[in-house]
Amino acid sequence: MSAHDPHHPSWNRPTPGVGGLRRLASSWRWLGEGLWWIEHAFGRARTEARPEEDTRVRILLIRWVFAAVFVCLALGAARAALMGPAPRTGVSAHPNAMSRADIIDRNGALLATNIIHYGLYIDPAQVWDPDAVVAQIKAAVPRARVSRLRTAVSGDRRVLALARLTPAERKAVHDLALGGLTFEPEDVRVYPLGESARHIIGSVEEGGEAGRSGVEKAFDGQIRAAGADGQPFQTSIDLRIQGVLEYELAAAAEKTEAKGAVGIITDVQTGEVLGMASWPASNSRNLATNATYEMGSVFKTFTVAAAIDTGRADMHTMIDASSALQIGRRRITDYHATNRVLSLEEVYLHSSNIGTSRLATEMGPDVMQDYFRRFGLLEAAPFEIASERPQLPRDWSNSTLASLSFGYGVSITPLQMAAAMGAMTNGGRYIPLTLHKGGVPNTPVRQVISQETSLTLLDLMRRNVANGSGRFADAPGLRVGGKTGSANKSVNGRYSTAHAVGTFAAVFPADGPANARRYQILILMDEPQTYPRTGGYVAAPAVGRIADRIAPFVDVQRRADVWRSATGERLPTFDDVEGDGR
Amino acid sequence: MTALAVVHRLFNWKVRGIRWIEIIGVALVGVMIFSVYIAKADAARQSASIADKERQIRANGQRVRLLRAEVARLEQPARLEALSREAGLGPVDVHRMVTEQGLPAIAPPPEPRVVVAPPPAEPSPEAASAPAPGSAEDPVR
Repeated sequence: MSAHDPHHPSWNRPTPGVGGLRRLASSWRWLGEGLWWIEHAFGRARTEARPEEDTRVRILLIRWVFAAVFVCLALGAARAALMGPAPRTGVSAHPNAMSRADIIDRNGALLATNIIHYGLYIDPAQVWDPDAVVAQIKAAVPRARVSRLRTAVSGDRRVLALARLTPAERKAVHDLALGGLTFEPEDVRVYPLGESARHIIGSVEEGGEAGRSGVEKAFDGQIRAAGADGQPFQTSIDLRIQGVLEYELAAAAEKTEAKGAVGIITDVQTGEVLGMASWPASNSRNLATNATYEMGSVFKTFTVAAAIDTGRADMHTMIDASSALQIGRRRITDYHATNRVLSLEEVYLHSSNIGTSRLATEMGPDVMQDYFRRFGLLEAAPFEIASERPQLPRDWSNSTLASLSFGYGVSITPLQMAAAMGAMTNGGRYIPLTLHKGGVPNTPVRQVISQETSLTLLDLMRRNVANGSGRFADAPGLRVGGKTGSANKSVNGRYSTAHAVGTFAAVFPADGPANARRYQILILMDEPQTYPRTGGYVAAPAVGRIADRIAPFVDVQRRADVWRSATGERLPTFDDVEGDGR
Repeated sequence: MTALAVVHRLFNWKVRGIRWIEIIGVALVGVMIFSVYIAKADAARQSASIADKERQIRANGQRVRLLRAEVARLEQPARLEALSREAGLGPVDVHRMVTEQGLPAIAPPPEPRVVVAPPPAEPSPEAASAPAPGSAEDPVR
């Protein structure tokens, strides 16, 4: 083909396909025409007798395209190199990341951790003398089951012969230098405290991934998140206080030959649980959260608080307890009848059933129900670890009100009692108990009684320990206040005098302003066998010893008050009112 | 125009038929390849070193956790209490406790001892001329 060849008719007009572009938006037209122009450049150049020019145009075009592409690549590479995010190195996100975080107490003491254990695998093909291997492994790790080892060495493939070898056990087996034995690491949840605090810490499922009970279950998500960051998970528990509580609770339970026992220590101003124990520790059931009890006279505190808070009574109110109170066919008497008119203080210190029954029936069902609800006695305690619901009365008749006033007819968990006593002694604010260190921020707090009522009750509780039934709970200089509770248990629908519950709900120091730092101790003994079985004898002494020992941990200074010197000597003005331990 | 001529001349400057500009370009490419190699090798070495350090940290973390668990087991209050009771120890009686402020009452600070300095003796002519004890002339030394 030469420049003299006839001009092809299609060179100067678009192809039918390109012509179709005319139907598109006008902005696309230049693209079609450009393609057309390039496609027929050779033909056009030949026509215009400048074929070499066309070649140069093409080369130039290709060079520009390549240059542009490479400039873009270079700019992109430079941008990625200079301004991109720092490359991540290493294998995992955090070198100390774990599937579950360590659980620690409020001072950093370890409660639960993950430790690499080892599974022992045996490959029978490499075992020369099966009997010797079994004997040597058994000697190195006495807990190994011989039958399982025999199955492993006589099998036909590599199997797991022994799980959860500790690093020390692994070393012992490794040092045997036997052929065919290999180890594979496995992450195991370990509780170094053994049975101590086990009801609070709880446990994890078999695979070690999900929490099954206690803190492990309640804070499962937070424990995993903290573990991923390599951080420990901190609780409100103080291991020192927990240790004292467990020791003294066990000592008291063994001394009184009780069937079970519960102890709870809380900070009343923050709702933090500092210690919680359920005895016997070998029982998997946490009696503090999962058992309900009729707690007896401790409830008189709520009845008296309601009477004072509603203005129906004050410290000078006189209540007739000279004779038994008759409600329908029911006759309410006092354990230690005084047969006289009592002041409110005497009603509380003598633990008069007649006195509180009179107050309750005068207040009526609405007021009593309202105050019981305010103190959280009618519903399960709001707490991170799920707890039992209370057993409530079927009706709110006068007879029931009388029973409720001295702690019968309603069964609550020790947890509910601890939370209610916290509200009673912190200025009247109901703060849900928590295992979060420092309390839960922005937790809804409700005012259940006035500050004045709270201070009056603190005074009454202190008087009860100084001069009343709670005297065994006194700890020198720590101004302990509290209320005893003693109740017979219902067995087969009837109250049995052979089955009792003795309780002591205490607070220290009971003096100072409503918002002073203050700690609540609840001790409950279930079915003590020694006499007298009242709370003042079975539970109060443990409270005194616990307060005495934990005071330095919570920084409560020993000081004299109007009743006792700083070293516990009685100051001469006041006399004992009652010593019946009820 | 002159500048263009200089550029043209530079581009056409040859040695044994090869343009200098091409030789320089090839050399620069070589230098670039080498430096990229060095940088990558260094990065790989550092990455391996970091991975090794992280492995060490993990191993040490494991060891620390193991030791902490052992410490927690040994220091748990129940064990310490049992050991203390076995050794005949128990909580301190309140009458045997004292605060910092109460210390002077049970152990009064000792009276400051007044030491009367002996009156300075009149120096005798012999003493003045005698050599000072411990000096270089001391015959004892």
